[in-house]
Amino acid sequence: MSAPEGSAVRVPALIVMHADLAQALVRAAEKVVGAVEDVTRLSNEGLSRTDLEQAIEERVRDWPHGGLLLTDFWGGSCHTSGAAAARRHGEVLIVTGVNLPLLLDYLHNRERMGAAELAERLQQKGRDSIRVQRCEPV
Amino acid sequence: MSWVLQRIDDRLIHGQVLIAWGSRLAPARIYVVDDGVAATPWERDLFREAAPGIEVRVTTVAEAAAAHGTEATADGAAFLLVRDLATARRLVEAGATPGDWNVGGLHYAPGKDKVNDYVYLDAADRADARALTAAGATLVVQDVPSTRPQTLAALDPTTAP
Repeated sequence: MSAPEGSAVRVPALIVMHADLAQALVRAAEKVVGAVEDVTRLSNEGLSRTDLEQAIEERVRDWPHGGLLLTDFWGGSCHTSGAAAARRHGEVLIVTGVNLPLLLDYLHNRERMGAAELAERLQQKGRDSIRVQRCEPV
Repeated sequence: MSWVLQRIDDRLIHGQVLIAWGSRLAPARIYVVDDGVAATPWERDLFREAAPGIEVRVTTVAEAAAAHGTEATADGAAFLLVRDLATARRLVEAGATPGDWNVGGLHYAPGKDKVNDYVYLDAADRADARALTAAGATLVVQDVPSTRPQTLAALDPTTAP
């Protein structure tokens, strides 16, 4: 189920990452944009695949218009358990390889578009944020 | 070449396998041996796509036992992943060479006792460990290459036959 056209429904997000990364990423975002609301955080630490899947499902099952799972890397347990939990619910998309610029872009745009469109945008923003600065000696 | 890591880990394919062991041992193929995953199309597809650049084969225990000897002499390195000791035991009892098994993650569940931070066992797990060892398998506990390997029997003597 998608959000009605033109409405300002906020696309919810759950960040699932290794160790304390989800918590740290939100804390870093708050340094840039101030208090961050409505972003749930979860660590996979010490959890079996089925327990992680259940923990994710408990957090996404109340998303009436879908939402985003933001995870650290493709093929990790946060991604695969997330995919298992998400398939039982509406429009839940998983974005992997999440970094701080991507999270900030999510925060700026989560009321402007639906989950699928936002996921596509974040994929591009995350990629575009990775650049190399060459520092030539003077 | 072939089998360079046979691992018992309830997460099957995940970060430690792909990044810590994978970058060190560079597998060409990963066998995910699990009757449940093999019988579930969406889950099979999820694991097949989980390791970009590596061929993932999702098989039943019977299929893996039949392919085990051929794969042992195939070109390139291969990983074999099972979710629990019971599956490893069934694979060996179905004809796979016992060999070396890496115990990488058996997480807490009700009724299981702590062996270390990432290994929890119940009576059935211990019976499976004893059967595997009696068949000639070695069980070595090590989550990532940089941690010290220890035999399961050294950490939990009740798993020795």
